[in-house]
Amino acid sequence: MLKVVGVETYYGKVKALHGVSLEVKEGQLVTILGANGAGKTTILKTISGLVEPENGTIHFNDIRIDRKDPEDIVAMGISHVPEWRRIFPELTVYENLLMGGFLIKEKDLLRDRMEEAYRHFPVLRQRQKQRAGTLSGGEQQMLAISRALMLKPQLLLLDEPSLGLSPLLVQDIFATIKELHRSGVTILLVEQNVNHALKIADYGYVLTTGKIFLSGTYEDLLDEEKVREQYLGEGKYTRRADLWGG
Amino acid sequence: MTDLFLGLTQEIISGIALGSIYALIALGFTMIFKATEVVNFAQGELMMVGAYVNFFFVTTFLSAAGTPTAWTFLVALGGSMIFSVLFGYILDFIINRPLKDEPIFSVIMATLSLAIIIRAVVAIIAGPISLMPFSPFGDSAISFGTIIVSVLDLSIIGSAIGLVIIFYYIFHYTRWGIAMQATSEDPIAAQLMGIPIKRVYALVWIFSAVVATLSGILLAPRIALLDTTMGFLGLKAFPAAVLGGFGSIPGAIVGGVILGVIETVSMGTLSFHFQWIKEINDIIAWIVLIAVLMIKPDGLFGVEKVKKV
Ligand SMILES: Nc1ncnc2c1ncn2[C@@H]1O[C@H](COP(=O)(O)OP(=O)(O)O)[C@@H](O)[C@H]1O
Ligand SMILES: [Mg+2]
Repeated sequence: MLKVVGVETYYGKVKALHGVSLEVKEGQLVTILGANGAGKTTILKTISGLVEPENGTIHFNDIRIDRKDPEDIVAMGISHVPEWRRIFPELTVYENLLMGGFLIKEKDLLRDRMEEAYRHFPVLRQRQKQRAGTLSGGEQQMLAISRALMLKPQLLLLDEPSLGLSPLLVQDIFATIKELHRSGVTILLVEQNVNHALKIADYGYVLTTGKIFLSGTYEDLLDEEKVREQYLGEGKYTRRADLWGG
Repeated sequence: MTDLFLGLTQEIISGIALGSIYALIALGFTMIFKATEVVNFAQGELMMVGAYVNFFFVTTFLSAAGTPTAWTFLVALGGSMIFSVLFGYILDFIINRPLKDEPIFSVIMATLSLAIIIRAVVAIIAGPISLMPFSPFGDSAISFGTIIVSVLDLSIIGSAIGLVIIFYYIFHYTRWGIAMQATSEDPIAAQLMGIPIKRVYALVWIFSAVVATLSGILLAPRIALLDTTMGFLGLKAFPAAVLGGFGSIPGAIVGGVILGVIETVSMGTLSFHFQWIKEINDIIAWIVLIAVLMIKPDGLFGVEKVKKV
C-alpha cells in the first residue's frame, strides 16, 4: 500500500533522512521506533507532503506521491496525526472535527462521520461546544485522532500519540490504536514507547540518525536486548521542544 | 449643562461614524496579520485606491446617465467591489506569497514601499488635483428630538455594523471561514486536514481589500477633498488595533470605534474648553497608542502574545 524507497530529506543543508526505505501493507500496523532526533517525525512529514524529499520515491497504491501537496495526499487517503496533536485550540471541538472533514462535500456524510466520532468518544460529544484548548491531554489526543478519522483514511500516520500523557492514559491510547487497527485501518505508528508499540504492531523499523538500523517482528526486535539499550535510548527518554515550527 | 450634553451626544455619534471607518481599516489589517503574520502598512492605501476607483465609476456613470440616481451609486459600488476582489488577489500574489515567511523587517519594508508606490501610481493616473467626492445622501440629516445626525454618518455606522455581522457569520458559520481561523492558528495542521492554505491566504487578502475599499467609499464623502494623502488615515489602524488588543478582531473593531470617539470629542467639546487640545488633536491617536503600550500593552481584548507552541 505504502512504499518508501531510498528517501533523503533535508532541512536546509542538514540531512535528516539518509536513504530510508520501508513498506506498509494493507491492514498492517507498522511501527517506527527510534530515539529523539532520529528522524521519525521527518519520515511522516515527508510521506504527508509537509516536506519534500531531495531523493527517493514514495508510492501510495502504486501512485507516486512524493512531489504532491499535502492537501492532495490527504485527499488520496493518508491522514496524519502530528506530534503533540496540534488540535486547533481556539476552535471548538465541533469545529475541529468539521475541519477534519474539510474535504467532505456532502452534508449528510459529514454529519454521519461526526456522529461516528461522537459515538466512539462520547466525551467529545459532551464537550463539542468547548474550545479544544480547554481539553485535557488525553481528550486532545482523542480529538486529534477523531479529526484525522473524519475522512476515513486508508492509511493513518500517528506521530507519538502517547507523548506527554500519564501512564494510565497511555494504556488507553494504545488500546484505542489496537482497536482501530482491528476495525481495519492500516496504521503507521511512530513511537519512543518501545514496549507498547511493539506489542500491538505487526512489524517494526528501528531508526537511528536518519537510517533504518533494524527491522522485524515483535519477536525479532525484542530479542535484540542490547540493541534496544543502545539505539532506542530506553530510559533516557526526555521530552524535547517541538521541532515542527521552523 | 444640557447644551454640553447635547453637544457631547452629537459628537459621540459623529465619533462612532469616524470610528466605524477606523474599525473597518483595523479589521482588514488584523485579518491579514492574524492569518499570514504580514504587517500591512499599505492598508490605508487600499482604502484610498477604493475611494478613487469608486469616484471614477460614479463620475463615469454620471456622465453617461446625466442625473444621479440610486442606480448610479449601486452600479459604481458593484464595479468597485469587483475591482477590490481582483486587487486583493493580485496583492496576495505580489506581496503575500513571496514575503510570507521572510523576516518581519523585510515584510515591513515591502509593505511600506508598496504604500508609497500605490500613492505615486494613483497620483500619476488621477493627476495632482484633489477630487470632490459626493455622497448619495447629499447633506440630508435626520433629527432625533434636538439631536441632528447626518444621513451620511448613519449610513457609515449602519454599513459598518452590517459588514461586521457578515464577517462574523463567515468566520464562525461557514466552512471556509472556519478554515481561515484554523489556518491562522496552525497552518501546518490545517494543511494536514486538506485545507488548501494558499487559497485561504488569497481569500484573506481579497476580504481585506474588499473591506478597505468599502471603508474608502464610506469615508470619501465625509472628508472634504479626496487626494492620495487619504491613505495616511490607514495608519490609524495601529492605534486602533493596539487599543483593542493587537491581533484580536473584536479588539480591532472596538478599538477603532473608541479611537474615533476620542478624536471627535477632543476636537469638539474638549478643545472648546481647553484650547491647547486643538494643537495636539492630530497626534491624539498616537498619544493613545503610546499610553496603551505603557499601561496595558495587551489592549482591551488582550490576546496572549504566544501564537504557536
Ligand atoms: N524544522 C526543522 N528544521 C531544522 N532541522 C530539523 C527540523 N525538524 C527536525 N530537524 C532535525 O532533523 C532531525 C530529525 O528530527 P525529527 O524527525 O523530528 O526526529 P524524531 O521525530 O525522531 O525525534 C533532528 O536532528 C532535528 O534536529
Ligand atoms: Mg518526532
